[in-house]
Amino acid sequence: MKKMYFLLMVALSSLFLLTPIHAAEPVKVGMILPYSGVYAGLGKEITRAFELGLEVFGDEVNGRKIVLVQEDTEGKPNSGLSKTKKLIFSDKVDVLVGPVSSGVLAAMRDTVHNSKTPFVIANAGHDGISGAKCSPWIVRTSFSNRQVVRPMGKWMYDNGYRKVYLMAPDYAAGHQMMDHFKAGFKEAGGTIIGEEYPPLQGTKDFGPYLAKVKEAKPDALFVFFAGGPAIQFVKSFGAFGLGNTIPLAGAGWLTSPLYIKAQGEGANNIIGSANYIPSIDNAANKAYQDAFKAKHKREGSEFAVQGYDSARVIVEALKAVNGDTSDKKAFMDAIRAVTFDGPRGKMRFDSKNGNIIQNIYVYKNSKTNGVIAPSVFDVIKDVQDPSDSCTM
Amino acid sequence: MKKLFTLDRFVALFLIALSLLLSESVEYYGQELIAEITILAIFAMSLDLLVGYAGLVSLGHAAFLGIGSYATGILTVQYGWEMFPTMLISIALAGLVSALVGIFVVRLEGIFFIMITLAVSQMFHAYFLKNREFGGDDGMPGIQRLDLEAFGLTVFDPADFAKFTLIVAVLVYIGLDLLMSSPFGRYLIGIHQNENRMRSLGVPVEQYKLAIFIIAGMVAGLSGSLQAQHTGFVSPDAMFWTVSGVVLIMVIAGGTGSLVGAVVGAVIVRLLSHQISSLTEHWMLFMGLFFIAIVLFASDGIYGTFAKYCRRSRWWKSAGNSSD
Repeated sequence: MKKMYFLLMVALSSLFLLTPIHAAEPVKVGMILPYSGVYAGLGKEITRAFELGLEVFGDEVNGRKIVLVQEDTEGKPNSGLSKTKKLIFSDKVDVLVGPVSSGVLAAMRDTVHNSKTPFVIANAGHDGISGAKCSPWIVRTSFSNRQVVRPMGKWMYDNGYRKVYLMAPDYAAGHQMMDHFKAGFKEAGGTIIGEEYPPLQGTKDFGPYLAKVKEAKPDALFVFFAGGPAIQFVKSFGAFGLGNTIPLAGAGWLTSPLYIKAQGEGANNIIGSANYIPSIDNAANKAYQDAFKAKHKREGSEFAVQGYDSARVIVEALKAVNGDTSDKKAFMDAIRAVTFDGPRGKMRFDSKNGNIIQNIYVYKNSKTNGVIAPSVFDVIKDVQDPSDSCTM
Repeated sequence: MKKLFTLDRFVALFLIALSLLLSESVEYYGQELIAEITILAIFAMSLDLLVGYAGLVSLGHAAFLGIGSYATGILTVQYGWEMFPTMLISIALAGLVSALVGIFVVRLEGIFFIMITLAVSQMFHAYFLKNREFGGDDGMPGIQRLDLEAFGLTVFDPADFAKFTLIVAVLVYIGLDLLMSSPFGRYLIGIHQNENRMRSLGVPVEQYKLAIFIIAGMVAGLSGSLQAQHTGFVSPDAMFWTVSGVVLIMVIAGGTGSLVGAVVGAVIVRLLSHQISSLTEHWMLFMGLFFIAIVLFASDGIYGTFAKYCRRSRWWKSAGNSSD
């Protein structure tokens, strides 16, 4: 009997010994993403992939569990900022992950920077964050807009497209994208023979614009469209029958896997640049796609991979500091030092501005068995953001 | 006979005391929230002038908030002005624009007024969305706050900024309350209740409507300027029609026709959406149910219904008040 007691005591005291480790404060990750509004789908996609990332790479470091605190930005700068403040000052998160839109990112930036909160950008491509608005507390696992578009200028020139026509919606991002393409393209020696900027909202008929393009006879048409307008534009392009005479090229969002089906025949043969397409051939991508398919019964998108990689960045940085986030500077340094071979190939952060250095994939859509899908056409290795005005 | 202590003023006093107390006791985030809600309350009061008093249901009021915000941002960030004159100019500019808009729109009524205000505000939204000089759809960051060292307030301390916005809100409330108790305000209420009668009494109805439209625009401009200082940032989203819609819901949920009702609406709607959206992704569903409940069970709005029962109660009458 005494022996029983003794064993029981040992067992109980070992419980006490274990408890403090398990009861260690969890690492709080603030997910600042749109869960309602137009970008709700992207917010949820990134969150799902982040959770998947934690399952794969481990959701516990040195006894500290990684927990998510989700807040809805609604895709609006003001709500996003106010939720950012809640996450930082009320929930006291250790690190922030998000947002989807550049407007929200621009609104958040000063608060994050001044409060010295480690921040991993998982989608928004706002160029300023890798430029004049850079911060030692911010890294980006997704892309900067110009990082995706600028190298495409040189690539197109090198591949024989000398005279290019441009088209983009008439708003800040549309003009920025075209400016970046022009910079890369002209530097290489190409000529822009025309530009069109249709209104962002409500352009149902791209016919008049496409007629002008047809008349100008360019070697290629380079465009930037995303979301709803991208569907509309590619459909019109197909209906107008330009596909056989003038090659269409654009940044990746032009024919995202999320809506390529809705775009019909027009999407065939489009050339684009992107930081990720699902058919990249490497071991890490295969593992990622297998895990994603097993959990969600479909292919992981380019938005998901950014959430997945963000989770990996945070887990590896936590491992490097043994789960200790009390020294924010050390934790942030660990984040900036993370490097790995992920689904997008080799990735690391630029020491100059915290932006990811990654491959940019030139893809081409083609039809196999009646399904139009992108495949890798060419790879532009280790593309950096051409940061000019960042001083940290 | 006019009374000094109406129910409205009593509740207003209570709200002010409560928020002052809270701004001392709550921590950082709570103070930020108080400032945010106070600014919204000023904005809601300005809309209530139109909706509740003059009977002009505007679905484009955010345009004037946005103009106040942008004027503040542009003048301080791009032209390096001091904040105080900038605030005055922002208010004046919002007033000027609302005068120009008002000349055309106050002649219209009902659904036509709703549609034209919506259209005009979307025009402003489209302009700032496309204008690359002011940041386009990325917006304009880096807006500073008013320097109040002279009054012993450091506005970078959120508690002090919350107090500053509260003081402004109190001044706005007193000003508008006096205005609405004056003959001017009475005429407006008269126009709301029976426009033809007021017209046949010789009241220049359009001029009165234009005047209140301008005043409402100026107060909205003030709240816009404060919002820009609070968030340090302005983007075209500030003047999108959904912002006008949300503040209209606040005014209706609180109870139209009393300034306190607008304030109560702003406080409750904002707090609820903050709390529920932290709990669930489907928070908009619950907000919708909440609004349906208000429409069904408290059609005078939360404060309106409260005031109705209060005025009927024995306690209020025994305190020497008629059931006004």
